[in-house]
Amino acid sequence: MSQPPITPGLDPLTAFDPPARATLAAVADHLIPAAHGMPSAADVVGDARLRFVLLARPDLLEPLRAALRPGVGDDAATRLAALEGDEPESLAALLQAVVFGYYTDKGVRDLLGYPGQEAKQLYSWKVPDFIEEGLTDQVLARGPVWRDPATGRRAERP
Amino acid sequence: MAQEPADVLIVGAGASGGVVALRLAQAGFRVVCLEQGDWHDRADYRGPELDWELTMRKQWSTSPTVRGLPEDYPLDETNADVSPLMFNAVGGSMLIFAGAWPRMLPSDFRVRSLDGIADDWPLTYEELLPYYERSDRDFGVSGMGGDPAYPPGGEDPPLPPLPIGRGGLKVARAHTRLGWHWWPEPNSILSAPYDGRRACVQRGTCQQGCNEGAKASTDLTHWPKATALGARLVTGARVRRLETDAAGLATGATWLDHEGAEHFEPARVVVVAANAIGSARLLLLSAGPGHPDGLANSSGLVGKRLMMHPFANVGGLFDEDLESWQGQFGCSIESFEFYETDERRGFVRGAKWGLAPTFGPINAALPSRAGTQVWGPDHHLHVRAHLGRGANWGLFGEDLPDETNRVTLSSTLTDSSGIPAPEVHYRVSENSRRLLDFHIERASESLVEAGAYKVEVDRLMRYSGWHLLGTARMGEDPETSVLDRWHRTHDVPNLYVVDGSSFVTSAGVNPTSSICALALRAADHMVETRFEQQVPA
Repeated sequence: MSQPPITPGLDPLTAFDPPARATLAAVADHLIPAAHGMPSAADVVGDARLRFVLLARPDLLEPLRAALRPGVGDDAATRLAALEGDEPESLAALLQAVVFGYYTDKGVRDLLGYPGQEAKQLYSWKVPDFIEEGLTDQVLARGPVWRDPATGRRAERP
Repeated sequence: MAQEPADVLIVGAGASGGVVALRLAQAGFRVVCLEQGDWHDRADYRGPELDWELTMRKQWSTSPTVRGLPEDYPLDETNADVSPLMFNAVGGSMLIFAGAWPRMLPSDFRVRSLDGIADDWPLTYEELLPYYERSDRDFGVSGMGGDPAYPPGGEDPPLPPLPIGRGGLKVARAHTRLGWHWWPEPNSILSAPYDGRRACVQRGTCQQGCNEGAKASTDLTHWPKATALGARLVTGARVRRLETDAAGLATGATWLDHEGAEHFEPARVVVVAANAIGSARLLLLSAGPGHPDGLANSSGLVGKRLMMHPFANVGGLFDEDLESWQGQFGCSIESFEFYETDERRGFVRGAKWGLAPTFGPINAALPSRAGTQVWGPDHHLHVRAHLGRGANWGLFGEDLPDETNRVTLSSTLTDSSGIPAPEVHYRVSENSRRLLDFHIERASESLVEAGAYKVEVDRLMRYSGWHLLGTARMGEDPETSVLDRWHRTHDVPNLYVVDGSSFVTSAGVNPTSSICALALRAADHMVETRFEQQVPA
């Protein structure tokens, strides 16, 4: 059975039929199962996350469809092994779809304590810790590091 | 009516093109620049967005081959150990560079004299020093004077250093215990507001464009000033070839617009500033009856001696949270402890180390640098161990020139305009491999001393060709060099190449500060000799 066609401009999820989505869920759970207080990727990477990933990275759509097509291995593990050997691009798209979907989920990021890349105020007038601790003074106390072309040796202290 | 020629036509609006354009515009030259990319609005950069780590691997990849944007040209990398990286836009590859801004060292200009290998430069560190200082002021550099890796004297950077972060402090303390050099890295990233630009916010997304405008790039620092002085910048202009007259002088450039229509831009002087791959490609594309092997190529060296700094990443994992996804990227600290030649090590020259942040959770799961992928229940332990708990030493090894490492024109691959793409031939030398092995061992010791419980190594990163150098080297002898000491081609007296192509040797440091200082020096010389400059009749 072939998957639905890709129609530019349409919701990218329409390119995946229910068996393909079930396969994706099985692979997601195999790669990132619920453990150590974290949820399974199968539960996290639903419509919203997959749509987000494919809208941000439309180049993944075609190789992801290839990775999820019927007849590639009997289960998630054999599917991944088959793709690794024969279709590294399809495998890369599958791993990225799962990982991108999982780690752009707010709940997952909250559990990890990762707030995203934040803007922080700089206080450039403050004396840095490394100066307070005298760390650069100790570097200076050891003398020059550069090689003097005139002598070919490490430079002498001025 | 024939179009009035520009005083100077510049090909490429990146780092060196921007520097030359501003200096010449300030001196009253009528400047025109052709740039195949466009302006970018920094509000569009993805750093603060949820898709940052998704788009950095495609639309905002540093590799034109991965990105594949219409303004990019493809590269045939079949015979290359390292992928060249670049960006085509106003501001050029500075939009995606890290911002690290170290200078070359005095010994870098005297490799032949000191180590009996490669070549000496036709200028010295002391000659370039005033241009480094002017360039630092123009771009807005943050750093700390007095670094004992350099000769004493000269101006301090105009702004204080950026924070070194928790990871940088741990490693600095470790180097103090080891007795090894370290110093806060100079970065062309603002630690305080400067010249109408905002200060860095430590977002750590410098290589996908700086939303604050704190990281220097010539679209912010030079082009607005140059165009205000009358320089004309044409974007979406892909140069196909440089033209010459019967006397062998450059007369201008033939270029294609977005629709594929052909134009000719006449000029009295032509300056090529399209990076060491793009510039070599253009000179080779400009072959003609009087110069069948390419323009300015009587030496046969155009495209040869490509250097890209073989790069290793050594990452340490720590028990505590270092919040290492934040901070300039750029570097926090540097080390030159093992930069200079020590023949007992079994190789010549050395490497500069720079300590960098470690990205977010997606990179922890799918590492683009050192590290592995872990699946199943332990995946969560793996990500927690990496996210925010790493410190990465990036090791830039000096790349010795080798004529077999070169850029040629592909016979099979073209860009979207049908122009032959560059074919890159690049193999990492035995000296470089030994150099990296030694430095990886020392950098691992550094991180272990700092408290890392595990060290992960990427011995030669494929996507690390940020530094494109050497394909039209400077020199005094026209038989063994393409450019003279002022960046003028030996063969064509009104043709200059001002980007990293001019490098005689690569040094072992990030090259953009040197590229910009050299371009400023070349532009100063053009101004000083304007009345002796030979131009077409």
